[in-house]
Amino acid sequence: MTKLLWEPPFIQPHRLGEINKFGRMKARDNYVEHVFGVPVALLKEEFGSPCFVTSEIHFRNNLRNLKKAFERRYGDVIHGWSYKTNYISAMCNIAHQEGCYAEVVSAFEYEKARKLGVPGKKIIFNGPNKGKDILERAINDGAHIHLDHLDELNLVSKIASRLNKIVEVSLRLNFDTGFTEPWSRFGFNIESGQARQATRLLAASKNLKLSGLHSHIGTFILEPKAYIQQVRIMCKFMREIEASHDIEIDTIDIGGGLPSKNALQSIYLPPEQVIPPLSEYADAICNTLIEETNYRNQLKRKKPTLIFESGRAAVDDTQALIVSVVGNKRLPDGKRAAILDAGTNLLFTAYWYNHQVQMTRPADGPLADTALYGPLCMNIDVVRSSIQLPPLEYGDTLVINPVGAYNNTQWMQFIEYRPNVVLVHEDNTYSVIREREDLEVMCQQDRLPEHLKIAFSTTEAKK
Amino acid sequence: MTKKSKLKLGNGNRCERLHALAISETGFIFDPQTGQSFTVNQTGLFVLNGFKKGKDSETVSHDLADACSVPIELAQSSVEAFILQLERYL
Repeated sequence: MTKLLWEPPFIQPHRLGEINKFGRMKARDNYVEHVFGVPVALLKEEFGSPCFVTSEIHFRNNLRNLKKAFERRYGDVIHGWSYKTNYISAMCNIAHQEGCYAEVVSAFEYEKARKLGVPGKKIIFNGPNKGKDILERAINDGAHIHLDHLDELNLVSKIASRLNKIVEVSLRLNFDTGFTEPWSRFGFNIESGQARQATRLLAASKNLKLSGLHSHIGTFILEPKAYIQQVRIMCKFMREIEASHDIEIDTIDIGGGLPSKNALQSIYLPPEQVIPPLSEYADAICNTLIEETNYRNQLKRKKPTLIFESGRAAVDDTQALIVSVVGNKRLPDGKRAAILDAGTNLLFTAYWYNHQVQMTRPADGPLADTALYGPLCMNIDVVRSSIQLPPLEYGDTLVINPVGAYNNTQWMQFIEYRPNVVLVHEDNTYSVIREREDLEVMCQQDRLPEHLKIAFSTTEAKK
Repeated sequence: MTKKSKLKLGNGNRCERLHALAISETGFIFDPQTGQSFTVNQTGLFVLNGFKKGKDSETVSHDLADACSVPIELAQSSVEAFILQLERYL
């Protein structure tokens, strides 16, 4: 007699709306045994679960494709590697080896870039909170400072005056493109006149020289036309201020915002059908910039350098997360649920993406709507609220991807250790690029005042 | 609205309701009395078919433990929980 696969007996009522006309995936075929060419079982055995696995060759190829797409169309292009997207040292250095500048947004990120050996001249310093000390260092290093607000403008001016230097700065702008929600909390607004006011102050300053314009119109932008509008507005502003002040703009920084092949929760269709190819974005941006700066040819003036700061599009699909099932349960409404050893503590992006989750063995049993929860003591620790999966067993390994953007930076140190991050090298060997945390790491910054050093008597504590 | 009725399967009484159910080999169930339909998993189907054959919950639990090679205590507690589910829906 054929053995029956064990699962607690269960009956589930059919509800209106659950049955639909769309086909289900072929469960048996939808599994992976390798991640970036390395057996999942081997990685799990060697580095434990959960474990991030990253591909060097994928990352390098993505960076090269991005740079090529813009260079081919425009020529003078700088890619600023967005540290906040993934600032694991090895990842930053891959980006720098591929010619990227460092695009940093805080004192920590600035110091990290310098520690990695990035020259000040190849650092783009963004962000709304640049303290006095780090600004002074950045000025001395010759970094590209992008001003975010008037207080910062005044602070940079004071430091430059004290150091008796003339500091080249860029102005971060915000404006309404009509396509995306305006990111009006960053930079100087064009429509309200703030940007013109800042320009006047800079034009009159003895110690500051405005040489660049910057804006970032949003994130995961699915409409290339938004960039056309962005470049037009920035170029129009550039021509206006160049005409009315003794200013020459050398760089136009369009920020980031290019999407990755991830599935936003708010979008029904899969990313392959929704996300325009890179070439459409590059065409939109470069063609508009060429068109809007053609006047400079007649004036025999150099065109501005184009800076872009794509992080997500470069790194998201270069990383996967190996996780394990640590428990199964049925929810009161009959829905299957599984608890994983990684949740939103490691996958912050699970709050807005439906990450792909794959089995690592052929499916055994019928597919059913399943919720995947993480290990946190929080109701919102949901990796997938609804995904068709076969019955899962304790210890089953799953692979979640793409997870390369923002998770190794926004992960939480909440009740769990952060795991190993492994890099698969170009020759298919692999190594740890960030070690798993342990108790020592977690307690390293704690300080116990003398009267709190003992909580229990010595004999009691040993019990 | 789901009609609540006590099946009392735990006491060995085979409720007529169970015999009235249309149960497919794949686990699709239609209840002609309420018009509701359900899906049972393979072990649920095994247990339901046992009940339909007139077996009591103790016998069905032993059969299930044998069929799945799981401890009898696990099978018994799972069948008890399954009976509670049936009572909720049928």
